Amino acid sequence: MDPTEAYIDAAAATLGLHIAAEYRPAVIGYFKLAASMAETVMAVPLGVADESASVFIPVVPLSDDEEDAR
Amino acid sequence: MTSMASQTSEQVRSGVTSARAVVQASLDRIAATDPAINAFSSVLAERALRRADAVDVSPRRNRMKLAGVPFAVKNLFDVAGLPTLAGSTIERNSEPASRDALLVRRLEAEGAVLVGALHMDEYAYGFTTENSHYGPTRNPHDPTRVAGGSSGGSAAAVAAGQVALTLGSDTNGSIRVPASLCGVFGLKPTFGRLPRTGSYPFAASLDHLGPFARSTADLALAYDAMQGHDSRDPACSPRDPSPTGALLQRGAGGLRIGVLGGWFREMALPAATAAVDKVAEALGTSRLVEWVDVEAARAAAFLITCAEGSELHLDDLRQRAEEFDPMTRDRFLANALMPAAWAMRAQRVRAQFARRVAKSFETVDVLLAPATPCVAPIIGTATLQLGGKAMPARASLGLLTQPISCIGLPVVSVPVWGLDDGSPHLPIGVQLIAAPWREDLCLRVAAALEAQGVCSAPIAQGL
Repeated sequence: MDPTEAYIDAAAATLGLHIAAEYRPAVIGYFKLAASMAETVMAVPLGVADESASVFIPVVPLSDDEEDAR
Repeated sequence: MTSMASQTSEQVRSGVTSARAVVQASLDRIAATDPAINAFSSVLAERALRRADAVDVSPRRNRMKLAGVPFAVKNLFDVAGLPTLAGSTIERNSEPASRDALLVRRLEAEGAVLVGALHMDEYAYGFTTENSHYGPTRNPHDPTRVAGGSSGGSAAAVAAGQVALTLGSDTNGSIRVPASLCGVFGLKPTFGRLPRTGSYPFAASLDHLGPFARSTADLALAYDAMQGHDSRDPACSPRDPSPTGALLQRGAGGLRIGVLGGWFREMALPAATAAVDKVAEALGTSRLVEWVDVEAARAAAFLITCAEGSELHLDDLRQRAEEFDPMTRDRFLANALMPAAWAMRAQRVRAQFARRVAKSFETVDVLLAPATPCVAPIIGTATLQLGGKAMPARASLGLLTQPISCIGLPVVSVPVWGLDDGSPHLPIGVQLIAAPWREDLCLRVAAALEAQGVCSAPIAQGL
């Protein structure tokens, strides 16, 4: 079996997702489209200092005024 | 047929007309035209007339900036008493919203009147609003064609003259694509500028909210009324509001304006590049600016959307995949299987791209690019010929917007007309792009183009 299709089947089973037979060809097509996007992204050289754009913001307790405004 | 929001509010403030009369005219226009367009998923006549009456007797009426202006919102905004559908049927059985979304409340605080909710692609995942559950939203300028998406109802309602003002969301282009295809003005503010409190997310690290209108002045009016931090949206910046309305008259003089090359021309058909060239000529610029790694930025936005969007719906994908729109179901299923490294790497590429682009804004104030590769395709179009190859039409309509929203830059999409040889009746949008938090510059250039007659948003005829 094509390794990508084998991965799709294994990942779906692991996640508890049932891919119905009629959905499978399109799911494989869309997964391969995402894989082609990943290839483009993976080709960009990055260093260890290149951090993620996803940055956690610590949550400050609301003041009484802010709580009242909700 | 609705007037511009700025004219309506002036007339209601001064007592030339009443909010009730304006809202009733909007409801009549919706009843007359929506069977042909399918923009509205809910019309809230009783609520709207009650609200209009309250505006008419309000002691604040002559200070309300949007007095009596009818507006509508994409149906991913909470509306008190309605389930927030987000284009799905799955959410029909969710609890009705207990209160309106924050931006709805802010517009109504200035006298605007919500008249209904608008169709969209299911869960905002699409660029055409060919929703299988509710039928396609049709382009008011040519009902055989798509309105664009995912905020298709929001753009179509303005183009059809049903309301002067609408709100939509933009994760990868969902304000700018329908604005382009329906020939209206659209503003996607800087990521984090407008709070998303009370709206249904798609991919939270990319989601923006913003307005559609038929003029730059109306965009600015709505945008200014909606600004302000809200801590319930963790992505919302604590910056103070930066009002733009009074700055529009400054025009584009003195601004350094460039045209984005590379990807933004290679992936555009002749009508799209002609629209940019027409705008560039009007602004007196021929300066070309090239960004590196644009295709990678687009791919990064694509992958982040895949990961965040599918995780949000994982439980429903497990339990009732058959209830999703077939247009989105197979994509969500495929995306749920993505290795984490793809999305994590995409977030790092995104940060690097943002830093590089920021440098380009040291020498330029506003950049131009097409909003869509082409004018509105016929409903059901499967592929587009772009960059020398056949591309899936529905995903490719966002090729030119995705790299910009990936890094959260503010953009106004302005409509240009008559540049597609085969369909001269159709509009196409040009993106006016600025550095983060400089919505004022995008709006100033849009106002200047409008004043020159280069861009306009006429109501569709013959509906």
